Amino acid sequence: MKRLLASPVTGPAIATIAVALLVAMTTDRFLTQGNLNNLALQVSILALVAIGSTAVIIVGGIDLSPGSAIALLTMLLAMMLKFWGLEFWASIVLVLVAGAAIGLVNGTITAYLRIPAFITTLAGLSAYRGMAFMFNNGSPVFGASDQLERLFYGQILGMPLPLIYIVVFFAAAHWLMRHTRLGRSIYAVGGNANAARLSGIDVRRVQLCAFVLAGFMAAVAAVLMAARLNSGSPNYGVGLELQAIAAAVIGGASLAGGRGDMVATLFGALTVTIVQNGLNLNAIPTSTQNIVIGAIIILAVGIDMWRGELSRFAAWAISRQQLTKPERHEGRKAQ
Amino acid sequence: MTENDDVIWELRDLRKTFGPVVANDNVSLILRRGQIHGLVGENGCGKSTLIRTLSGAHQADSGIILHNGAAVALRGTPDARALGIATVFQEFSLVPGMTMAENIFLGRWPGRLFAVDWRAMREEARRVMAELELDISPDAVLGELPVAQQQLVEIAKAMAAGASVIMLDEPTTALGVTEIEHLHALLRRARSNGAAVLYISHRLDEVVDLCDVITVMRNGRVVSAAGETPRDVPAIIALMIGKEVDEQYPKLHATRGEPLLEVCGLSTGRGLSNVSFTLHRGEVLGLGGTLGSGRSAIGRALFGVETVVEGEIRVRGAATRIRHPSEAIAAGIALLTENRNADGLFFNFTGSENITVASLNDFDHGLWLDLKLERRVSNELIGRLQVNRMAESEMIDRLSGGNQQKILIARWLNTKADIFILDEPTKGIDVGTKVAIYRLINELTASGKGVILISSDDKELLAISDRVAIVRRGRILRIAEPKDVTKADLLTGPEETQRAA
Repeated sequence: MKRLLASPVTGPAIATIAVALLVAMTTDRFLTQGNLNNLALQVSILALVAIGSTAVIIVGGIDLSPGSAIALLTMLLAMMLKFWGLEFWASIVLVLVAGAAIGLVNGTITAYLRIPAFITTLAGLSAYRGMAFMFNNGSPVFGASDQLERLFYGQILGMPLPLIYIVVFFAAAHWLMRHTRLGRSIYAVGGNANAARLSGIDVRRVQLCAFVLAGFMAAVAAVLMAARLNSGSPNYGVGLELQAIAAAVIGGASLAGGRGDMVATLFGALTVTIVQNGLNLNAIPTSTQNIVIGAIIILAVGIDMWRGELSRFAAWAISRQQLTKPERHEGRKAQ
Repeated sequence: MTENDDVIWELRDLRKTFGPVVANDNVSLILRRGQIHGLVGENGCGKSTLIRTLSGAHQADSGIILHNGAAVALRGTPDARALGIATVFQEFSLVPGMTMAENIFLGRWPGRLFAVDWRAMREEARRVMAELELDISPDAVLGELPVAQQQLVEIAKAMAAGASVIMLDEPTTALGVTEIEHLHALLRRARSNGAAVLYISHRLDEVVDLCDVITVMRNGRVVSAAGETPRDVPAIIALMIGKEVDEQYPKLHATRGEPLLEVCGLSTGRGLSNVSFTLHRGEVLGLGGTLGSGRSAIGRALFGVETVVEGEIRVRGAATRIRHPSEAIAAGIALLTENRNADGLFFNFTGSENITVASLNDFDHGLWLDLKLERRVSNELIGRLQVNRMAESEMIDRLSGGNQQKILIARWLNTKADIFILDEPTKGIDVGTKVAIYRLINELTASGKGVILISSDDKELLAISDRVAIVRRGRILRIAEPKDVTKADLLTGPEETQRAA
């Protein structure tokens, strides 16, 4: 029980369940097979991007660029498949490599040229989308390849592929963060970069690795996004970076670095997606959805920040109750 | 006018405890207008607690504080500031990007509503500077001034704000001789303007030279009040040190073995010049000297934190280049840093994870860490060093300072180092843990390892070291047996000692 309470996953999981219950109460269309399948497809792209965002946040940085990087990468993939005549699997591998390269650029500028991550990736947010517009005269590329859609809509043993990607990538990410030296080093650098250096850790290389992971995950998400509509577009992924950061933060990641958990981030992504889904089902406009997501971010971080105050308030409320009871008792005696 | 009219602040019977530690025990102090009051004592004697109480950062358990004869409550630093208590610490409360004039009037810029009257502000700043005979332009950007001038601005700011008392804690450690003279001249002018000054310094010559009265503290008590302290350095040192308790420092002398670390003509770009010494197996080499003398810089240079521009380091007889802490660790060197929070602890890690972070190699199987082995190794160290068992699974911030320090020592024990550089290993920890750390040092030397001990606690340095190197201005002045080093050597540096003698 105590271990369950201490686990970083517990809070975000409870939040997800609470939001799901809330949505289920407002509409009976939420808990249908069709909607839940749809939800799994919807959450997959956000969740995969959020893996990278979480790693970068834990190492003490922030990545604002994946939304734009995804636009660039979908265009690259669609161009390779439709116009440049590359092999299907070769194109997929090349896009993944290109994603890692984008991460390498972000990481090099941040870690070795000492530009703050916020600035580096803000520049990337602008630049990568600009690059996406340089292909095909800035128009989307439709009908990229016959094979592409299967990567998103395909199934293995009745399981939709995006669900399998989530399981595989989150298992790998969890393993990386909790069971490997690199993962431990990422937590160490984010927790105290000075102490990490003095413990013999190559701080800059670790930061670079986190950004490369983020770039790679953006590429994985880009392949799914392109597959979903069998196209590439410079307008894909707008605002996705903020949703991914929201997922990480709702999952308990601290923007100060050092804290965060991959599985908790998955629940964060689920929470964001269920809220959007629930608001969609109730025909609430996108503008309101964005406001609700904003409020949830404040609430999620607030509950974490006010933990001390909340428990003190609870203790105070309990002690007050105990104090007032004997008083009443005495009152009766006196009468 | 009786003498009592001069009294602006009076502290009466202040008592402050931290858990079982009595930091201030019935401390009384009187600050008068137009008087510079020196406060001296060894590290940990309660000086800092006292000034933190007067600056509102701590609240005393008992005792009263009188301002102009009336009892006041200082519930926080804003209360103290409102009553004109100005504290000059080594870190300044100035904004580096603003000009001198803006800083002097920080937060109370002249003008109406939202518009600042810049001209009036600069005129006023110029007037203040003229009054204090300081030659700093009102338009000079503060961050571009030398540190010494920034400190003068800090004091000028306190005076311009009409401070009733200016407290300075070790203001001269970062200053050169002429800069110190400037500072003292400024304080004397503050005195003639009727300010009260409380001056804390380890440099006793300065204190005797500058202060009108001197209070000496030891172990949380005032052992010599303002009126009774002689203005004589050796006498003050005797008062500061008092009687010694022998079993406080359980020292075992190990047999000195072959040379373990030889340092030849080491220089860095930032202060060290031509440092040479040899550390043998089984030996504790103490590095003594004042803060900023270069003691810590030697440790940092050996650990690859500061860049070595000249000189040679030989580890176990082999010339070794150390450019990064990872290379130092590989060469068998460990550095326990002075600043536990900033340079040591990972507050997002458990005690166990804090131990193993510098020796992850031992648990790395390529694709994964052997977490079981990690737990076994760290639990064993936690048991061996008698750290609170909570450290096995709880975050490090749940542990006391002493336990945290033991965790850091365990970290370095686990790297299988031969050479342990311990920078202030007992700073801010209780007596019981101190003794445990001394015993650990004995174990290290008994097993043929070498220890470099850096400490501001002179008693500790002289009791635990086999030899002591006196460091001053980035150089080693001499290396001697502890019995040939007087406490005055360490407190004031040899030059002053000669003058005082």
